[in-house]
Amino acid sequence: MSKFTWFTGRGPALTQQQLQRRDALSAPAPFDERPLHQQRLVVLDLETTGLNMRRDQVLAIGAVVIDNGAIDFAEQFECTLHRPDHQASASTLIHGIAPSEVARGVDPAEALLDFMEFVGSSPLLAFHAEFDQRMLARALRQSLGYRLQHSFFDVAEIAPLLCPQSRIRQGGLDEWVAEFGLQVHQRHNASADALVTAELALMLFSKARRQGIDTLCELERQLASQRRRQHAM
Amino acid sequence: MSKADAMADAGKTAVLQNIHGTMEFLQKFPPFNQMDTAHLAFLVEHCQLRFYAEGDSIIKPSDGPVEHFYIVKQGRVHGERPHSARRGTETTFEITAGECFPLAALIGERATRTEHLAAEDTFCLLLSKLAFVKLFAVSNPLRDFALRGVSSLLDQVNQQVQLRAVETLGAQYSLDTRLGELAMRQPIGCAPDTPLRDAVRMMHEQHVGSIVVLDPADKPLGIFTLRDLRRVVADGVDLAQPIDNLMTPNPFHLAPDASAFDAAIAMTERHIAHVCLVEHEKLCGVISERDLFSLQRVDLVHLARTIRHAGKVETLAGLRSDIRLLVDRMLAHGASSTQITHIVTLLNDHTVCRVIELTLEDMGDPGIPFTWLCFGSEGRREQTLHTDQDNGILFEAESASEATAIRERLLPIAREINQRLAQCGFTLCKGNIMAGNPELCLSRQEWSRRFAGFVLEATPENLLGSSIYFDLRTIWGPDEGCEQLREALLGRVASNSLFQKMLAENALRQRPPVGRFRDFVVARSGADKDTLDLKVQGLTPFVDGARLLALANGISAVGTLERLRALVAKGVIDALDGAAYEEAYHFIQQTRMQQHQLQARDELPYSNRVDPDHLNHLDRRILRESFRQAQRLQSSLTMRYQL
Repeated sequence: MSKFTWFTGRGPALTQQQLQRRDALSAPAPFDERPLHQQRLVVLDLETTGLNMRRDQVLAIGAVVIDNGAIDFAEQFECTLHRPDHQASASTLIHGIAPSEVARGVDPAEALLDFMEFVGSSPLLAFHAEFDQRMLARALRQSLGYRLQHSFFDVAEIAPLLCPQSRIRQGGLDEWVAEFGLQVHQRHNASADALVTAELALMLFSKARRQGIDTLCELERQLASQRRRQHAM
Repeated sequence: MSKADAMADAGKTAVLQNIHGTMEFLQKFPPFNQMDTAHLAFLVEHCQLRFYAEGDSIIKPSDGPVEHFYIVKQGRVHGERPHSARRGTETTFEITAGECFPLAALIGERATRTEHLAAEDTFCLLLSKLAFVKLFAVSNPLRDFALRGVSSLLDQVNQQVQLRAVETLGAQYSLDTRLGELAMRQPIGCAPDTPLRDAVRMMHEQHVGSIVVLDPADKPLGIFTLRDLRRVVADGVDLAQPIDNLMTPNPFHLAPDASAFDAAIAMTERHIAHVCLVEHEKLCGVISERDLFSLQRVDLVHLARTIRHAGKVETLAGLRSDIRLLVDRMLAHGASSTQITHIVTLLNDHTVCRVIELTLEDMGDPGIPFTWLCFGSEGRREQTLHTDQDNGILFEAESASEATAIRERLLPIAREINQRLAQCGFTLCKGNIMAGNPELCLSRQEWSRRFAGFVLEATPENLLGSSIYFDLRTIWGPDEGCEQLREALLGRVASNSLFQKMLAENALRQRPPVGRFRDFVVARSGADKDTLDLKVQGLTPFVDGARLLALANGISAVGTLERLRALVAKGVIDALDGAAYEEAYHFIQQTRMQQHQLQARDELPYSNRVDPDHLNHLDRRILRESFRQAQRLQSSLTMRYQL
């Protein structure tokens, strides 16, 4: 592998090979009219050093894939990122990633390239997706000089749309897990949270189909109109 | 990729959190808990997770050959087949978390015969047929499980029961062993005109305790044992006389296919030490008490004999712990709950008879023939170690005044017997259903009038009474009165459809503790929180249902299983249903008895309540299925009596 590093302006230091990989990443595919249950969606959860979207860093990425209406266990992504100056903080208690584990982690550029290759052109799905989207976008910009353009769907936004009878409006993942009676065996690591989010998404897609929402376009339309209604209120 | 590579690779990904988490989940359930870790990792990583909303069809016959092995991760799956009797479908089985399906169809490479529906929101792990076939080739636990299906589950339960009990004992020996296998040596036989001296010489030379007297076609005419020899020697009989003057004629016999249990019961009931084995009217072996128990050290016959000859009530009371020990050992040797309740009842009957005899010796025989009746579970021969007294007295009287006079004579004796039985561990009945109660010490006419009243006037007390008294049986004394009483009763019930309907309603009172949404329904609060009652909620529906159908159809059998079998024989219930009810009843009873054994060992008071969460996974699953059978029996009553 070429160890020769290209300095491209004020961007990050990447190897020749990393640059090639970055440039070969797929662009997001536009939404098509294939039914929801034939889509490939990547469900993502990040563990971060904290909740500040400008200062805090991504520590771990967990992702599972919903493809053809099922979560495929053979296709999963799990990676802890190497952060040389990482210190234990309050959020260490939540995500449970010890500083020593972070120290053993993968170089962020490599990890993010691996992840984006895993994502391919698929749309992304997360719980409170805005946070993951912004944290991931910043990490990609800083470590790879890459601009994230993939669409994100927010499970926290889809759930109240499809379950109008539910009282939960601004609920967290735990509330929806309880509402749907989902049995969770482990939580609070990126992979397990991604899996729980994906399980919730499968239950929601089943509801969507019953409500006649069968494509990503239609889902996006309905979400947009829900947003408009909320602004109008 | 070769199979070995695939398995080695699987080990590497097992470090992934979600693979690991799912493996941990599966490791709580058979057969996954017995599988090699690498094999299990291979399984999980080749799985898909799918969601089925309540009511979604998961697989159905029209889908064609089954393509996946399904494991329920969360939720419940029902098997639905078209209803045999009416329109619509009925649920034939239920599958919950950790269980898998459809094994028979997958292995038979065919479509499933039953539609599998999500009974509630359900997640299933799906393993492709290709991956399943690979695993099937390398994993012995998975193969055994898949090939043997649910029967292997039942085997595992039985193995566990035996293991638990065997821990304190030793060698394995089954009461189900064929007698043909136990009778190792050629039987010794002789002609009827053989002089006694020659017969005894043959017994001595062959080291056997018995000789069978045969006709020229080898058909047994009689048996002569060492016990008989002692008697004739004591009587000073001439040793030259022919043996057929001294033998016990028409010896009891069984077929070589009968079980060791059958022989043990026969010996205990008949007080004999030898059983001839006869096939096609020819002697083919002799089983002695020693053959049966030298292997087993469960000395049932000896215990029965000790009870029958006990000289004092204190001795009888002391023998209770021997009965408990015996039950322990029988469980260890794989005896079923039916065999055990049968033996407990038998030994209890012996104890009751002995108590009556001793009491009559002590208090003096009143000179009036009477019959000691028992009711309820004792009447049905379904007693466990934890047992109440439910008894009464029946006597013959010409007139009401004579009945009153006899009652006055018998009551003090009855009360004394009740007290002495209590001393022997038969708890006094809280409802005073005891022979010492003047209302239960009646002449045949009085009993008959009382029973007629139950049938004619269906008050709640009378319905409750009928559920106790109509399971009556003679323990001691002449049996004819009891049978006459029963015959009259069957006639009255058969011709009274209103009473049948009331009994049916009564039989629906206790609902089996399985719910629509959770697998068990347990008490929500109080001292019984999180528990269910195996007897009242599990056994009672079977007992009540079988009683009703038996009484309504002129069946005189009293035991629940005997009643179910008679109902099948009479075509009242379907043979498959009967078998399912029997198995379910059996399992609930077995679970109950294991609880009692554990409680006795830990010196806790007896209780029929169990927390299903304290049972192991297999027991829970089968218990739940058993309760479902009780539900099916009840819904068939609802249909039959249009409730």
